[in-house]
Formats: sequence, C-alpha cells, structure tokens
Amino acid sequence: MAPGTSADLLPGTLDMLVLRTLVRGPQHGYGIAERVKELSHDVLQVGESSLYPALQRLLLDGYVEAEWGTSENNRRARFYTLTPTGRKQLAAERKEFERIVTAIRAVLEFA
Amino acid sequence: MRLLRRIAYLFRRGGNAADVADEMAFHRSMIEHQLVQNGMSADDARDAARRTMGNETYMREESHHVWLWPSLEALWQDATHTVRALRRTPTFAIGVTLTLGLGIGANAAMFSLVDRLLFRPPARMIDPSSVHRLYLYRTSRGVEDQRGGQYARYRDLATYSTHVSQVAAFSRKSLAIAIGQDTRIKPVGVVSANFFGFFDAPPAIGRYFTASEDTPEQLARVAVLSYGAWQTEFGGRTNVLGSAIQIDAATYTIVGVAPDNFVGLWTFLPPAAYIPVSTYASTRPPKDWATTYGTAIGLELLTRRKPGVSVEAANADLTNALRRSYQRQYQGNAPLSELRPRALAASVLAERGPDASNTTPAAKWLSGVTIIVLLIACANVVNLVLARAMRRKRETAVRVALGVSRRRLLAQLLTEGMVLAALGGATGIIVAIWASGVLSAAFLPGTERQSVLGDWRTLSFAALLTIVAGVVAGLAPLAQIRHGDLTGDLKSGAREGGRQRNALRTLLLLFQSALSVVLLVGAGLFVLSLRNVRNVRIGFDADSVLQVKLNIRDARLDSAAKVALRLRLLDAAASFPGVTHVTLQESIPFGGMSSYPVFVAGIDSTDLLGQFDFNTVSSDYFATMGTRILRGRGIASADVDGAPLVTVVGQSMANVLWPGQDPIGKCMRVGLVDTVPCRYVVGVAEDIHSQSIEPESKLYFYYMPAAQWLPQVGGLFVRARNARLLVEPLRKRLQQEMPGASYVTVGCLGDFVDAKMRPWTVGATLFTAFGALALILAAVGLYSVIAYNVTQRKHELGVRLALGAGQSRVVRLVVMDGVRVATAGVAIGGAIALLAGRWIGPLLFDQGPRDPRVFGVVVTTMLVVATAASLIPAARAARLDPKSALQSD
Repeated sequence: MAPGTSADLLPGTLDMLVLRTLVRGPQHGYGIAERVKELSHDVLQVGESSLYPALQRLLLDGYVEAEWGTSENNRRARFYTLTPTGRKQLAAERKEFERIVTAIRAVLEFA
Repeated sequence: MRLLRRIAYLFRRGGNAADVADEMAFHRSMIEHQLVQNGMSADDARDAARRTMGNETYMREESHHVWLWPSLEALWQDATHTVRALRRTPTFAIGVTLTLGLGIGANAAMFSLVDRLLFRPPARMIDPSSVHRLYLYRTSRGVEDQRGGQYARYRDLATYSTHVSQVAAFSRKSLAIAIGQDTRIKPVGVVSANFFGFFDAPPAIGRYFTASEDTPEQLARVAVLSYGAWQTEFGGRTNVLGSAIQIDAATYTIVGVAPDNFVGLWTFLPPAAYIPVSTYASTRPPKDWATTYGTAIGLELLTRRKPGVSVEAANADLTNALRRSYQRQYQGNAPLSELRPRALAASVLAERGPDASNTTPAAKWLSGVTIIVLLIACANVVNLVLARAMRRKRETAVRVALGVSRRRLLAQLLTEGMVLAALGGATGIIVAIWASGVLSAAFLPGTERQSVLGDWRTLSFAALLTIVAGVVAGLAPLAQIRHGDLTGDLKSGAREGGRQRNALRTLLLLFQSALSVVLLVGAGLFVLSLRNVRNVRIGFDADSVLQVKLNIRDARLDSAAKVALRLRLLDAAASFPGVTHVTLQESIPFGGMSSYPVFVAGIDSTDLLGQFDFNTVSSDYFATMGTRILRGRGIASADVDGAPLVTVVGQSMANVLWPGQDPIGKCMRVGLVDTVPCRYVVGVAEDIHSQSIEPESKLYFYYMPAAQWLPQVGGLFVRARNARLLVEPLRKRLQQEMPGASYVTVGCLGDFVDAKMRPWTVGATLFTAFGALALILAAVGLYSVIAYNVTQRKHELGVRLALGAGQSRVVRLVVMDGVRVATAGVAIGGAIALLAGRWIGPLLFDQGPRDPRVFGVVVTTMLVVATAASLIPAARAARLDPKSALQSD
C-alpha cells in the first residue's frame, strides 16, 4: 500500500476535505473521518492511516491548530481548529480543484 | 515559520508522540463504541476496531516523519549503529583510525607547509593576484644577471612606470634591537611608507609612517612594532607610543603597532618591527645611498598592476621604466643594446619566483611521497573494511531480505565509512599538529612554528581528505553487495564464495607492497646519499668551530681602537674554559667570503681562471679550523706589519696559477693594480668548500696575515670541545668587552653547513620514516588478508589435516600464499623504482639511483616481513583441530 494516500480519494484532495470539514467548527480526528463519510453519502472513505499524517502535515504548515478538549461523550479528545491561513489555503485549493474538474469535464464531454 | 514549528516540535518531541498515540486510542475507542452500539459483542468490537485502524505504529511513525527530515533521522540511526558496531570490534576501529590518521595527518602537515611556500598569499594582502615581486635583469658580456637593490633604481621605477599603481621597496634585515646584554638579533622590515598600502591592515594602535617621513630629506626616526613584539616585549601597553627603541645603529620612536597576524610578505619569519627605508639607509654606508647606482643596499621591489593591465603589459611598462633608469644612470648614453635591461613581475610569493630556495623542490617531491603514504593507508583501510564486510555478509543479506532498500543500505555504508573517516580525520589533525612542527623544523629551521588548528585552509584540506577516505572506505563493500547472491549469502556462513572477491583484496595488497618497495628504495638511496654528503671533506671541522661576529655601533671607535678591541676579544676567547684554539678571520665559508683582484706574472687576467676568495687570519687559524697544511708552513705570529708579505694558498689555486711548478716562494700581488708589492707564497693548504657541498669549480682560496691587510676588519673563529654548548656562555663573556651599544653574536659554523646538507638530511629522514610506515601498513594488510583466508579455508584445511597432511605442509601452504603476493608486489615496485630512477637521480648525492645494494636490502626486507606476517596465521592454521573445523559453519 502506498503510504499517505487513500485509494478511495483523488490524490491531493484529502487535505482539502479535512480543511473543509473544519469550516463548521473545531473537530477531532474521528469526527473528521465520520463527517467526510457522512457528507459524501458514504462514497468517500478517509483511511485512518492517511488521516493522522495529514493532520500532522496541516499542523506543520500552520493551516490548523490542535487543542485537547472534551468530546460529545465526555472523553478527552484532540480538537483541530482552522486557522486564517488554513481558510485561505482552502479557498485556493478549492479554486484549483474546480478548475481541474471543469477541465476534465470539458474533455470528457467534447473529446 | 515551518522551520520554527519543526524546531518547536523537536523540543517537545516526546509530548507530541504521546498526543498522537492518545488521539488514535480515542479514535479506536470511538469506532469500538459505534460497533457495540450497532450490536456487536465487546470483544469482537475491539478486534474489529483494531483491524479498521490498521498498523498504528506505522501511522505514528508517519506522523512523526512529517515533522522531521526523514533522512536525518536515518542518518542518526546509522551513525549510532556504526558506533555500536565499532565498539564491538575495537581492534578494527583502532587499526582503521590509526592508519587513516597517519595518512591524513602526514598529508595535512605537508599541505600546510607547501601551501604557505607556494600557494597562500600573504595574510591581509589586498587582491594578491594583482601584486608582484619585481626582479630586474641586465646583460653583461652576453650573460644575463639579476641586478637591482639600489634606492635610486627604486625611485626611478616608481617615477617612470605608468601601468602599475604603486612600487614599494622592502627588505627584511636581521638587525640588533635594544642595547647591551639585552641585545637580540631580530628580523626587521625595512620598508617604504607605501608598503603598508598593499595590505588591509589598519594599525592596532597609533599609525604607520607616512611618505613624507620616508624621504632622503626627512629621514624620520620612526618605527612601527609588530603585534607580537608589542605583546611580548612591551606587554601590550598603549603608552608604548612615543617611547624609544634602539634598532641597529639608531634610536627610533615608536609611532604605531601593526595589527595581529600582519606579517608583511614573510609568513615564516615575520619582522618584529618596521622602519622607513630612507632612515635605515642613511645610518649605513655609502653616504650617497639615495643617488648612487653603484652600491646596492639590498632593496626588493613590490608592485601592483593597475586594473585591466595584463602581466605582459606591466612587464613591458616596467622594462621601459628600467631602460629610462639606465639612461639616467649613464646620462643618456646607456649601451642599452648591450645591457638589454629587463623587468620581471613575478609571483608575490618568493618561492614561486626566480629566487626560490632549495627547500621548495624538496617540499614538492616530499608531498608526492606523503600522497603515496595516503594511498597505502587507504588501500589498507579498504582491505580491513572488505574483510569486515565479508564477515558481516549474512547480516547484510538478512537485512536485504527483510526489505531494506538499496538506497538505505548504501546510505548506511556511507555513514559507516564517514564515521571511520571522521575518527581517522580527528586523529589526523593531532598527527598534523605534531608533524607540522617536525616538518617546519626540518625544512625551515629557525622560523616561527605555524599553528594547524587556527589554519582553516589546512583544516579544510584535512576535511576533504577525510571525506574522500570516507567515501572510499564506505563504498568498498559495494562490489560485494552488487553481485551478491542473496539466498547463497543467507545460507552460507563466511566460508564460501570468497574466492573471486578476494581478487580485489589481493590487488590492493599488490598495490600496497609495490608502493612500499618504491618508498623503501627511496629511503635507502637517500640514506646512502646522506652518508656520502657527510663523508665529503669540506676542508675544515665545521661542527667544532664557533664564529664570532662583531657589530660595532659606536662610530667614535677609530681603526686602532678596533684592532685593540679584536685582540682583547681574542684573549678573552682563548682563556675561556673549553676553548682550545682561536684566530682572527674576516671571511666565513658558507657565510660570505671576501674577494680582491689577484695578479700573477705570466697570466693576463686571473679573472678568467675563476674567483679568488681570501681570508685574513692570525697564527692559530689552521689549527682552529682543522684545515691541513700540505706544504710549507701556515701563517705565523712573526708575519706582522713590516715583515715580508706572505700568503698561504689552497692546493687548487697553486695548481691553476703555477701548473707543474713548486708554488713555494712564488710572487703574487693582491690589490687594485699590478704594481702593488709582491706577496710570497709560504705554504699550500688543502682545499675547502665555501658555497656548496657538491664539488666546486673555479673557486679558489688563499690566506693572508690579518696584520698585513686590514687588522681592524672582521671577527673570530673559536675551536672548542662541545662547541654548540658554548654559544651562549661565550657570547655573554665577550659581550662584556664590547663598548657602548656594540654587540657580538656567536654561532656555530656547523649551522651553515647543515643548511647546505638539508635537502639530503630531510630526504633521508622523511623517506625512512614514511618507508617504515608504509612497510608496517603493508605488513598489517598482508597479515589481515592471510588471516582472513585461513578462516575462509578452515574447512578445506581441516580436510587436509584430517587426511593426514602434516602441520609443516599446512604452514607452507599458507605462507606461500602471502609470499606469492609479496613477491609479485616486490617485482612491480622494483620495476617502478627502476623507472623512477631517472627523476630521483638528480636529487641524490654521488649515488646511482639503481644501486643493487639498496634494491637487494629492500627486496629481502620485504620478503622477510611478508613471511613473518603470514607465519602467524599459518601457525594458527596448523594448530586447527580437524574435527571442530569440519563441524563449524
């Protein structure tokens, strides 16, 4: 298995999805994985093996911040929050993603 | 920002790892919780959650690696692994460290010397590539000579040249500083004021002297101290400015101190002080120093090309300036077509110019020798590393089988090589500190010792060697991994498959023993040369004789007072304990001889026969020097002023002036014209050398009584038992007799001769040292390979022993292995040494480069050492217990 990417996701989109789920507010790793699954109607699976390295990458880049808090079922959990730079990065990645998707669609439809 | 976060991560590394582990545990428990809620049993849920999560260790590692440069982490692991492995095999570690240390150290020390002689520009010089030493030539009777050194010539070149921005005059003189018992001879920079402008060296305190102070009209008595002299002689006090210092014949006022590590042009023996050229020249003869072209005062010239001017253009411009200077000298009628004046802008380093000393060629070829030593050392290390790699073959195979990437394996090998090389490099620097002291004492005695530690050029050179050695040592085992048969390696022990890989080791061994033979032959030739040099009869016993030099700084002494002073010193020296003979002298063989025109009836011009040097001496001269009188008598105490004029001539001189005749009683006239009175030959002395150890031609000597020439000129020779021990006590005793600021210096005549012998002394010493080192390394290499072969062939040897082969047979088998390699090495090395004879021949003294004695001894030594090195493992092989040998893996 190639490390870092999940076979279920388009390459390079994991970071964007994680950032997107955090727009609604702070969330822990399990919550992020669940929310991606839920929002994509179970189509997209975020593998645990890529989620945590991805979160570390986002921490390193300063797009998210982490803080220990209490989960909905009163357990100690680490919550990730989107930073202003993270928000900007999300906007940029989203724009780039739209552009590529539009381009792919154009090719598929008219080739 | 990323960098800051990485660094912050490093500091709370443990904390973060725990965080990641905790949140994964939380994640897992959430999945578990979900599954239980969906109706799964607790146990099944736990297992299912674990399966879903997958390899948590891998995830933790990956999370961790995001923060680190993964390669750095691997490097650290490899390094610690290597260190642990080395601690398990200390013999190997020490062997490699010492071998590389000696190789790197010898090369670093040699580099430090050669770099300073030939490559490194003087410290603090601005744009050294545009600065040149200037050499002036003129042709006389069709022969081109180097000329110059006059103040007037220097001024002319500075005035007439247009393509250079500056011309400075400089000279380093040995001058007496201070007075009385404290008088010490120190190097002093006699420089023009603009000399300092060539350097980026703002004074530590005070100022340099100015151009207006350094003129024939001004003659300001101002001096600039070196930083070292300021610290040692004046304790670094700032109030030193304005105080007086006696230098040579005058008292100077200190106006400034040069900055630390400013050495002028003299890296090896920097001046203690700097004084203006004009002021210095005005305190010495001749009186017309500023205008005369007739008397040189030993000035050298330094110049800087203007930007954009090529060296050729500068040469042409300076040559033109020199021609104008000759025109000025000859009032416009210079015979320029005959004189053909020529200026040469050469390297700022004297040793790269036309006046290089005999040290430089010796240093050059000795660097070649040290490189050979390094090659041998590297070959040895590769050998040791290969042997070790073969022992670890199975370990490597296991790691490859477990999926270690080739890249990672390569990285680990390189790391191992580097760790080994780093140990060697560190040892090498210690060796270099010691060796550079030895080398500078051998090559440049009497100079300041150069530090290796503060010298980044030498340190970087050592680092470069270390890296190269590390790469070589690290990658050597690659040959084996590349062709490695994995399953075979996994199954076998260290026993099988070593044969063809041993070819490389055997090749290395051949290479090592061949180079050792070359070095040993060199050592033998130089030792014989040195013996020949020592056996040369130079005509006097240099080691038993001290020379006393008088430096009279009190101008009020008239001739009679000087004569009286010399005789007083002669008496004082004669009665000094340990002294056996004393004499007056005015010429010193190897230290400067006097010459005067000689006229003999029947010979038109004695000039054409050669050069006639003389010494003026008192009655005990020949006994003092140990020079033998072959016919007639020596100089006697009866040969006084007013008695018949006499002379003693050297044997060759007698032969050339009166061939086939009895020289005793012949008439010889010494003077400016051939009408001076006759001087009768009363004796013939053996020839002496006065310039070189090699046979001298067209150089003749004669002796006259001091009382019949200039009795006020010159010093003394003193013969004593243990002469060298008397240098300082005798100086103290004689100094008591000296009036005013005058002083004496005492030195051993042997020092002059030793300097002439230096190329051979250095060659014999260093060649022998390096040859012995090479021999030891080759022996160690041979031993390790043979010992390794024995381990490899344990099984086979066991079979032989079990089948009844005698112990002696096994010993012979093993020893022959070693001797075969050594013989081949000796043959190759011998052939190289024979071929190299053409180049080494000119360096030897009265010694053929293909001396069979030397080759015989070297070949025998090499074979004996090879046999001895193989005997130890051979004995071990013979004692093998066949049963255990056959059972072992």
